[in-house]
Amino acid sequence: MGIEDAPSGFLLTTVENFAGYMRKASLWPVTFGLACCAIEMMAAGTSRFDISRFGMEVFRASPRQADLMIVAGRVSQKMAPVVRQVYDQMAEPKWVISMGVCASSGGMFNNYAIVQGVDHVVPVDIYLPGCPPRPEMLLNAILTLHDQIQAEPLGVNREEAARAAEAAALEATPTSDMKGLLR
Amino acid sequence: MADDDITRRDQAGEVGAPRPAAEYESLLPGKSGLGEILAPAAGFGVTFASMFKPTVTEQYPYEKVPTKPRYHGRHQLNRHPDGLEKCIGCELCAWACPADAIYVEGADNTPDAQFSPGERYGRVYQINYLRCIFCGLCIEACPTRALTMTNDYELAGPTRRGMIYEKQDLLAPLGDGMLAAPHPMVPGTEDDDYYRGDVAGPVPEQIDWVAQWRPEDESLAALRPAGHEQSEAR
Amino acid sequence: MTTTTPKTGTSGSTPAPADQVTFTIDDVEVAVPKGTLVIRAAEQIGIQIPRFCDHPLLAPVGACRQCLVEVAAPDREGNVRPMPKPQASCTLEATPGMVVKTQRSSAVADKAQHGVLELLLINHPLDCPTCDKGGECPLQNQAMSNGRGTSRFHDVKRTFPKPIAISTQILLDRDRCVLCQRCTRFSEEIAGDPFIDLQQRGVKQQIGIFDPGVLGFAGSEPAEVYRGVQPDGTPISAATGLPSTDPADPAGPAGMATVDTSGRPFASYFSGNTVQICPVGALTSAAYRFRSRPFDLVSTPGIAEHDSNGAAIRVDHRRGVVLRRLAGDDPAVNEEWISDKDRFGFPWQGLADRLTAPMVREPGADGTRGELRPASWAEAFEAAAEGLAAARAAGGVGVLPGGRLTMEDAYAYGKFARVALGTNDVDHRARPASAEEEAFLGHHVAGSRMSVTFADLEHAPTVLLVAFEAEDEGGITFLRLRKGVQGGRTKVFSVAPFASRGLERLDGTLVQAVPGTEPEVLDAVGTSSESSVSAVAEALGPEAVILVGERLATVPGGLSAVLRLAERTGARLAWIPRRAGERGGVELGTLPTLLPGGRPVADPQARVDVGAAWDVERLPAEPGRDAEQILAAARSGELGGLVVGGLDPADLPDPAGARAALEAVGFLVSLEVRASAVTELADVVLPVAPPVEKAGTFLNWEGRPRPFPQALTSTSMADHRVLDALADAMDVQLGLATTTEVHAEIDQLGGWDGGRVAAPAAAAVEPPALGAGQAVLATWHLLLDAGRCQEGEAFLAGTSQRPVARVSATHADRLGIASGQGITVRTPRGQVTLPVAVTPMADGVVWLPTNSVGSAVRRTLGVDAGAVVEVAAASTVTTATTAADDGGTL
Repeated sequence: MGIEDAPSGFLLTTVENFAGYMRKASLWPVTFGLACCAIEMMAAGTSRFDISRFGMEVFRASPRQADLMIVAGRVSQKMAPVVRQVYDQMAEPKWVISMGVCASSGGMFNNYAIVQGVDHVVPVDIYLPGCPPRPEMLLNAILTLHDQIQAEPLGVNREEAARAAEAAALEATPTSDMKGLLR
Repeated sequence: MADDDITRRDQAGEVGAPRPAAEYESLLPGKSGLGEILAPAAGFGVTFASMFKPTVTEQYPYEKVPTKPRYHGRHQLNRHPDGLEKCIGCELCAWACPADAIYVEGADNTPDAQFSPGERYGRVYQINYLRCIFCGLCIEACPTRALTMTNDYELAGPTRRGMIYEKQDLLAPLGDGMLAAPHPMVPGTEDDDYYRGDVAGPVPEQIDWVAQWRPEDESLAALRPAGHEQSEAR
Repeated sequence: MTTTTPKTGTSGSTPAPADQVTFTIDDVEVAVPKGTLVIRAAEQIGIQIPRFCDHPLLAPVGACRQCLVEVAAPDREGNVRPMPKPQASCTLEATPGMVVKTQRSSAVADKAQHGVLELLLINHPLDCPTCDKGGECPLQNQAMSNGRGTSRFHDVKRTFPKPIAISTQILLDRDRCVLCQRCTRFSEEIAGDPFIDLQQRGVKQQIGIFDPGVLGFAGSEPAEVYRGVQPDGTPISAATGLPSTDPADPAGPAGMATVDTSGRPFASYFSGNTVQICPVGALTSAAYRFRSRPFDLVSTPGIAEHDSNGAAIRVDHRRGVVLRRLAGDDPAVNEEWISDKDRFGFPWQGLADRLTAPMVREPGADGTRGELRPASWAEAFEAAAEGLAAARAAGGVGVLPGGRLTMEDAYAYGKFARVALGTNDVDHRARPASAEEEAFLGHHVAGSRMSVTFADLEHAPTVLLVAFEAEDEGGITFLRLRKGVQGGRTKVFSVAPFASRGLERLDGTLVQAVPGTEPEVLDAVGTSSESSVSAVAEALGPEAVILVGERLATVPGGLSAVLRLAERTGARLAWIPRRAGERGGVELGTLPTLLPGGRPVADPQARVDVGAAWDVERLPAEPGRDAEQILAAARSGELGGLVVGGLDPADLPDPAGARAALEAVGFLVSLEVRASAVTELADVVLPVAPPVEKAGTFLNWEGRPRPFPQALTSTSMADHRVLDALADAMDVQLGLATTTEVHAEIDQLGGWDGGRVAAPAAAAVEPPALGAGQAVLATWHLLLDAGRCQEGEAFLAGTSQRPVARVSATHADRLGIASGQGITVRTPRGQVTLPVAVTPMADGVVWLPTNSVGSAVRRTLGVDAGAVVEVAAASTVTTATTAADDGGTL
């Protein structure tokens, strides 16, 4: 029984907090630079921005030792299976940041060669705009992800949250029917 | 290039790198004696020396180092001094956008709902920040200087949908003495007068109009303290 | 330069034909027919001369002076002498030996064009960011290509209040106007609705009505300015000086409008064309105002679905929403013009009552019929197949496809009825029809494609209109007729109760006929010596064309008389229905007595022919019931079920009876685009695609195939695909799932050179005798009325004619009413009250619009043209705004 299967009870919130704190403070990104955004990602590791202040100094070369994938750069159709394989090889729990507009939506490359958003391939937790985003923006995205990890429910709570999210998604208007102010 | 200049693998016959002309020889003069013995430790000298230099690390989330003033950050839709929107919904920004990140729909300004000077205003204004490459071509295209860029860069978010900023997310907050749109233009002015900067702020007629039709409007409170029926904002 | 320069040797040895003119443009020798304008000749060799006022379909006027070129022409001695000043190439006919230098080779012409453009731009406002024309504006483009980089004009520009609304649909912004007069020339030359003209002089010269406010007369009010629309799309205020209803002519636009040059409130069915040909943004449409930019729009060619002309249009859409439609350019059919209904009548396809999912009826637990609920396609097909099988066993199933189908869909309905349901009970005519008409269609119309074309109308010396109102029921057919009339080639006669405004603009001659007496009048042609009839007899010859409208089906013996007349005079005969799918239905076999290609059901060889193509053993041999009989049989329980397409019971001659039939029938399948009166009674509802969401082919009244592609991405399916899947669920293979398959099968079937249906020979009936207070009803549809396909467009509705009843002066005197006062037309079913317009027409006749707001003749009165109705002065003066709820289709 792993920590994911923790039983419900009054202790669980404390456990959640603790586990969240541990997890967020030791995120290890996998080295996964695809294009120009990777340069900014590397810059985030330099002493000026110093990503190690958040316990993330080790960009692991092996997905098995990493729990955060920063998809930095446009994902070409050819690269998509590789992205997915690296993601699959990462151990749970794992998170994905889609860095830059090309990874997030294809950006200005609205063409046949580029996957129009890496979320077609892997589930994305945080989208980060910018072309490329400056290192502060990446740090901001990572901190946003930290908050999300800190607040992540476990065990039964997690199941409940997942169910609620699924029910909400079923009820929601399909994206294609969302009109907003458009007429 | 002659065959001799390139290496050739024996088995596969692949073409490899050019053959080095001669054996490698360092241009630096070699160390001798004590220098050679201490060489492995010399690098620590650099380390020690840098301990006494000022630290370069920016403490980003705690201390934000300002960007350069012309940094391309999040967009902003500006307002005229009297609070009317500068955007006229002309879609030139959308036309200029190389990433197709901007969606605009115009609509008629009516006497009941005048959002910008002139006939037309931007009814729908969306920027998809997951497409925008912050190139600033939209800013150059804007004929009324309605669209400008701020230095704000903290934009990350968990959903794609949330990264599409609507008009209310992009509109500049009301400045000092501005009156929230919609309200009529300054009486006797044309849209040209607004573009030339001849309008300095809301006039009593506009304030009265808002007071009549939207008495609960928050921007009214600053312009028209309770108990005063005339404003002196002009 | 890619044009070929004729070799000197060849041009010298073979002189141009006598009517050819050879001259040079920019050192390129060009030979054109005599009378060709220089600007056209330049186009032919690929030289673009900038222009604003020039339009190939309008008479040259030389108003904008933008097309100046340097010209030299030979004098009497043959010396080529330059003209002293640059000439406007749009008014200059080419003469032999002329030497033309455009801006490409002449600094003088280039400087002149720059100068003219600078002059035009002096008072042109910097509206481009807000102007609807921005991005597709000839002025904008030519300011870039032929204009100066900067303006030297530093004074205050002349401004006007803007924009003013000419009608609810057309807005005029005089600031932007460059006075090219394309709009005024179109209105005068093409449509015959002159509404605006030049007024004032010098810098104040402007387009407008003869406006006392503009001209500065004492005590006159300035023009009021258009103030936009409310959020729901209704105009806040519109017009400049709408006169109160003119007692002499209460008809006029329903919405606000300016007065035209004749002093009437302006209402033209063709006003939208001025918006399209305006080379600047001076005329814009209210519906499209500020909606989009040209670079947002995706354009797809299309075919207008509102009438049987098959006008080419361009559908402009953005993000899956059609935002506007423009006229396409098809010289053979609509030239470059379309009616406002074709242009603006598109929102119906996307209204909130669109059916998106199939529905099946869940029987109530208490044995009631229950409620419709959304279902999957598979479930709906299963339910429909089961129900239809049971209904077929219980007496048979009738098919009513409706008159708006594409060729492909009509073919599928015909095949579905005969193969899957084993019946000939299929009739697409959702309107008053008769067995005589069916025989007429089988005898004369089916298989006679392109026997009369639009070009024939323009060149025929005589056109006789029978039960056909060219403007209201013909749309652009009217424009073609008018072109012939304007050209002095065509003379128009019309057999009608009175001369409508459309006929007046055709300079037409009225051959007066009380409804029901048309056969008598037609038979009198050539035999009677009465002046009006004998004039027709003289004019009708082998070159002449007779246009007969679908309304003649309501007159017993009418179509037989027309056939006799055509045979007697040798004139060609064309049948013009109102709906887009009628001709296709006739050709593709959705009539009880006709198989595809005009093959008679009664002909065994025809049945074998079709059966072989359809790969079935035998086809039902006995002719089926027509629409009326199908509904009667459904009402009496003889038929077990109905398959109903796009059809509104209100359009049928007896709406109440039709509704009763739909209620009584055991099983009802409805294929509809939008929820209708049939939907709420149906057992299974299968949604189908509107024309914009499917590809298909309309057959226009000429019989010309008008294919159009799918404009919008959609999950909706065309009727033929739904019917194919439905047949599949009934274990019948139709093989009509794609348009390719349908076309292949139609091609394989080919034409039919066997016998046709025999000509009808119905006898005319004596007109009924009129008692006191009675009158004969005359009625037809106005172009813009309360039809379902015009819903959702308030601006267009504002330009429709106010419904009025028309009676003759003596009749009005007898009733004791004057123009503008109320008149009540009554039958045992109900009554219609409208303001009356006294019109020169036959005594004892009252005319009502068939389906306008407040005048739903079939639904309220339950009768049609030729019936005897009670007429009386209305007890109270009413406006025509009662019973505005649901109307009929189209």
